[in-house]
Amino acid sequence: MLSALIAGLATGALYAAAALVYNVMFSTSKVLSVTTGHTAMLGGVFGAWFMQAFGLPVPVALLGSIGVGALFGLLTDFVAIRRVLSRSDEHLWLLSTLALATMVQQAIALWWGTEPKPFPRVIAQDFGAGLLDQKYWLPVIVAIALAVGLELFYRRTLYGKLFVAMSEDIFAARARGIPTDRIRMLSYVMAGAMGGLAGFAAGQLTFAYFALGLTLTLNGFIALAVGGLGSNLGALVGGAALGILSSIATYYVGGEFQQTISVGLLMVVLLLKPEGLFGTRNVRPV
Amino acid sequence: MSISLRRALVGAAALAWAAGAFAQDAIRIGWLSSLTGPLSSAAIAENQGVQFAVEEINKAGGVNGRKLELITRDTAGDPTKAVNLAKQLAFTEKVHFIIGPVNSGESLATVPILARAGIPNLIIGSVDELVDAKKYPNAFRAINTNRQWIEAANHYALNVIKRKKIAVIGDTSGYGTSSAKTAAELLDKAGIKPVYSVLIDPNKTDLTDEMNKAKAAGADVVMPWSAATGLLARLLNTRGDMGWDVPIVGHPALMAPAIKKLLNKPEYWGNAVAAGYVSTTYDEKGKLPAKTQALIDKLHGKMGTGEIDYMLWWVALGYDTVKIVEYAVKQANGTDPKVIQKVLENTKGLQGVYATYSWSAAQRNGFPDHQIVMNQANSFKDGAYRAAR
Amino acid sequence: MCGRCEREQIEMKRLLTVIVVAAALITLPFWAGDQYQLHIAALIGAYWVLIAGLNLVVGFSGQLSVGHVGLLAIGAYAFAIIAGTHGIDPWLALAASGGIGALCGFLLGLPSLRLPGFYFAMATLAFALIVTELVLAFEGLTGGGVGLSVPSFPAPFDTSEGNYWLILGMAALVTWLTWNVARLMWGRGLIAVRDSVVTAQAVGVPVLHAKLAAFVFSGLTAGLGGALFAVIQSYITPDTFLFELGMFFFVCIIIGGRGSIIGPFLGTVVLTALPELSAPLAKLGNFFYGLLLLLVVLLLPEGIGRLFQIVLERLRPRRVESVPIAPQPERLAAAIKVGQR
Repeated sequence: MLSALIAGLATGALYAAAALVYNVMFSTSKVLSVTTGHTAMLGGVFGAWFMQAFGLPVPVALLGSIGVGALFGLLTDFVAIRRVLSRSDEHLWLLSTLALATMVQQAIALWWGTEPKPFPRVIAQDFGAGLLDQKYWLPVIVAIALAVGLELFYRRTLYGKLFVAMSEDIFAARARGIPTDRIRMLSYVMAGAMGGLAGFAAGQLTFAYFALGLTLTLNGFIALAVGGLGSNLGALVGGAALGILSSIATYYVGGEFQQTISVGLLMVVLLLKPEGLFGTRNVRPV
Repeated sequence: MSISLRRALVGAAALAWAAGAFAQDAIRIGWLSSLTGPLSSAAIAENQGVQFAVEEINKAGGVNGRKLELITRDTAGDPTKAVNLAKQLAFTEKVHFIIGPVNSGESLATVPILARAGIPNLIIGSVDELVDAKKYPNAFRAINTNRQWIEAANHYALNVIKRKKIAVIGDTSGYGTSSAKTAAELLDKAGIKPVYSVLIDPNKTDLTDEMNKAKAAGADVVMPWSAATGLLARLLNTRGDMGWDVPIVGHPALMAPAIKKLLNKPEYWGNAVAAGYVSTTYDEKGKLPAKTQALIDKLHGKMGTGEIDYMLWWVALGYDTVKIVEYAVKQANGTDPKVIQKVLENTKGLQGVYATYSWSAAQRNGFPDHQIVMNQANSFKDGAYRAAR
Repeated sequence: MCGRCEREQIEMKRLLTVIVVAAALITLPFWAGDQYQLHIAALIGAYWVLIAGLNLVVGFSGQLSVGHVGLLAIGAYAFAIIAGTHGIDPWLALAASGGIGALCGFLLGLPSLRLPGFYFAMATLAFALIVTELVLAFEGLTGGGVGLSVPSFPAPFDTSEGNYWLILGMAALVTWLTWNVARLMWGRGLIAVRDSVVTAQAVGVPVLHAKLAAFVFSGLTAGLGGALFAVIQSYITPDTFLFELGMFFFVCIIIGGRGSIIGPFLGTVVLTALPELSAPLAKLGNFFYGLLLLLVVLLLPEGIGRLFQIVLERLRPRRVESVPIAPQPERLAAAIKVGQR
C-alpha cells in the first residue's frame, strides 16, 4: 500500500509538472496547448538518446533535453500560436496545437520506434533501494523545484512580473509598452524547457516512449483543472491528488478502470467547483 | 505467300505461343504485414523470410515454371486498413494466396472476409479464434496457437519445476486479456487455481504493488502472458530489485532481445523461461536443427555474416509460409482454391524450417504440440536459444 | 433583363447537378472497378453518416469534439451485441444503436457542454479512452480483446451491393436532415453560437439547449454510423476505435470547411481515399493528417471548401445586379395621400 502511494506520488509529480507547463503557456497567451505533454516526452526521448547514442555524461544530456524542450516550445509559439492568435477565431489554436502535437508524436514514432526504450540511471544508486529509488524521487523533487522557482520568478524578477501583467490584461500590458509577442515567445521557451526537464527526471519511471505525449497532455490537464488554472500550488496538489487516487484505485479495483476513475475525479471536481481547488472564479468580459 | 514469309509467320506464332506459355499467369501472393506500428519488429523479420523465400524459389525457376509474384501491403496494425487492403488484394489485385496479417487484431477482421472471397489464407496470428474448419475452410494456420504456448508453459511450471502456486499476469490490451483468460482456463483444467491474477496496463510505470501482492499470496512461480516488452522488463526489474528469486515462466516476448536493454541489471534476466521452438533451440552440443542451420547459412550469404539480433523463428515462419504455397501449388498442379484446400487438408508431416506441418479436414492448426520447447530467456545468441532445464 | 429567370436557371442547374450526382451514386456498384472500390465507397458512406452529424457540432456550433470515435464504438458494439449475440432483428438493432448513441451523446454532452473549449475537447478525448477501457473490461459482453463478429442485414442488403445501397440511403437521409437544420433557423443559431456566444445569448438563442440538441443528434448519427461500420467490417475489435480515428473525423470537417455540408463531405472522400491510392502515404498516415490540419488552420482556416468557392468566384463571378435607388416623389405623394385619408 505504501508503495502504491509512493508510486502514485511520483507519477502525480510528473502530471503536476505538466500542469505547471500549461500554466506558464496560459499566462501569456490564454492558450492551453495540446503540445504540453509532448515537451516532456521529447525531454525523455532525447535524454535517453543523448546518453545512449553519444555516451554524453548526465549533466550534458540534461542540458540537451532542456534545450530540445525549449526549442519545441519556441516551435509551438512560432507555428501554432503566433499567426493564429491574431485572428479573431477563438478556438483555432486548439486545432493548430493539436495538429503540431500529432505531427511531433508521429515523427518521433517513426524515428524512435513504437516500443518503450530504456532510460539510463541518472545518479549512481543501487537497484535494491526499493521505495527510496531515484525514479520515484527525482520527479517529485523536480516538480517542487519548478513550482518554487516559478513563484520566485513571478514575484522577484522583472520578467516574471511582465508575465503576470500579460496574464491579467494583455491590452493594458501592450499599452504600457511591453513587447507582448516577444514575452510570449519567452514564456513558451521557458515552458518547453520546464517540460523537457520534467521528462528527463521522470525518464526512469516512464521509459522513453513516444505515446507519453498525449497521455501527459490529458492527465496534466486533469491535474490542472482539479488544482485550478493559473495556480502553481494548485498544479502540485492536483497532480498529487490525481496520481495517488489513480494508484490507490488500481491497487484495490485493478488496472481495468484506471482512465474511468481519473476522469471521474475530473468530472466531480468540475461539477462541484468548476474553477478548481485553488483557481479563481473567472469573470468573463462581455 | 512466299516460303520465307510463311516461315517467319509460323516462327512468330510459335514464339508468341511460347512467350504466352512462359508468361503464364504468375502465382500472385498477397502479403499483409504491419511493417509500421505495433508488432512491427516481428513483421519486419517475417517479411525478410517471405521475401527471401520468394527470391530463392524464383531463382530456381519458379513453381512448375510459374514465377511467384509477391504483393506487399502495410497494414500499420490498424484493423480497418487491414480489411481495406485485404479486399484490395482479393478483388483488385486478384491474388491467389494471402499470407497474414501479422497482428491477431487485424486477422480477426480479415479472416471472415477472405473466407467469403474464397482465397486460401495462411494465418500467422496466434489467437485461438482465428481458425475454424467450418466457418473458414480456406484458412490454414502455420504458427502455433496461444493455447499451445500456454500449455507448454503450464506443463513446465507444474510438472518440470513442480510448482503449484501460480500468479498469472496479463495486460489490459486486447491480446493480453484474452491470453490471461485462456491461461486461467487451462490451469483450471489441470485442477489448479491461481493464487493471484491481475491485468496490468502495459504502460504502468511501477509494478511493486502487484509483485508484492503475488509474493504475499505465496506464489512460487509468476506466469506473464503479455507481449508488451515494457511491462515484461519492468516485471523482471521489480523481481530483481525486490530480491525475490521466484521463477518467471511465460510468453516468448520474455526472451526478446529488446528486453536486455530495459533491464536494470543483466542478471535480472536469469531464472526466466519462455515458450520457444525446437527449430530455434540449440541442442546440448550447441547445434541447431539441420534445416534451421541451412536457412541461417543462406541468410548469412545474402545479408552478411553479422550477428542476428532478432528472433530467428520469425524469419523461419515467413520463409515457411511461402514454401507451403509452393508445396500446395505443386501438389494441386495449379491454383484452384478448392483443390488447394483439399491438398492442405490432406497434408501430414510437411517439413518446414520453423515446424513440421499437419492439417486435416477438421483441424486447421498446422503446428504440432511437441515442437514447442521451453527456452532459457537470457540465452539469446544469433537468433536462437538454449533449452530450459 | 429577367432577374427571376436567371434565378430559375441557377435553380435548374443546381437541381440537375443533384440529379446527376444522385444517379452516379446510385449506380456506383455497376461502374465501380471491383468489390474493393465498392467497399471503400461504403466505408466513406458509413463515415459520412457520423461526420454529417458531427458537422453540426464541430462545423456549425464550434464545439471541438475530438472523441466522437467513442460514440462510433458504442454504436458498433451495440449493434454487434443486440443483433449478433442476442440475435434480434438487425433493423431494430440499427434503431437501437442510434438510440443508444443519442443517449450516450446526451449523457456526455450534459456535463461537458458547459465547459469552455479546451476543457470540452479534453473531456471528449477522455471519453473516447474510457469507452475503449470499458470495452476491454466488460469482456463477457463485448468479447474483450478478441472482439465480436457482426451479422449482416437480411436480403436484399446482405450482398456488397445491397449493403452499399443501404448505406447510401442512410447517408442521404442524414445529409437531408442536416441540410435542413443548416439552412433553417436552427443552423443560423448554431453558427451564431460558434462565432459569438455572447451575442447569440443576447439575441435569444438558447445556447445550451442548442448545443446539447446538436450533440445528441450527432450521437444518434454516430450510433447509426457505428452500426453500419460494424456491418462493413463484419468483425469489430477494440483496436479499431483508437483516438486517431476520432482525430480523423475531426480533421475531415476542418479541412472540408466549417459551416458547410459539401465541404466536410469532400473532406471525408479525399481523406479516406487518399491513403488507399498512395501506399507511402499510408505509412505516414497520422503525420500527414496532422500536417494537413496545420496547413489548413494556418493558411485556409475556412477549409478547402472555401478555396473552391474562391476559385469559382474568380472563374465565374456572381453578377450582382445594381439597381439604382432614385427617389420617386410621385409614389411618396400618393402614399401620403392614402395615409391621410
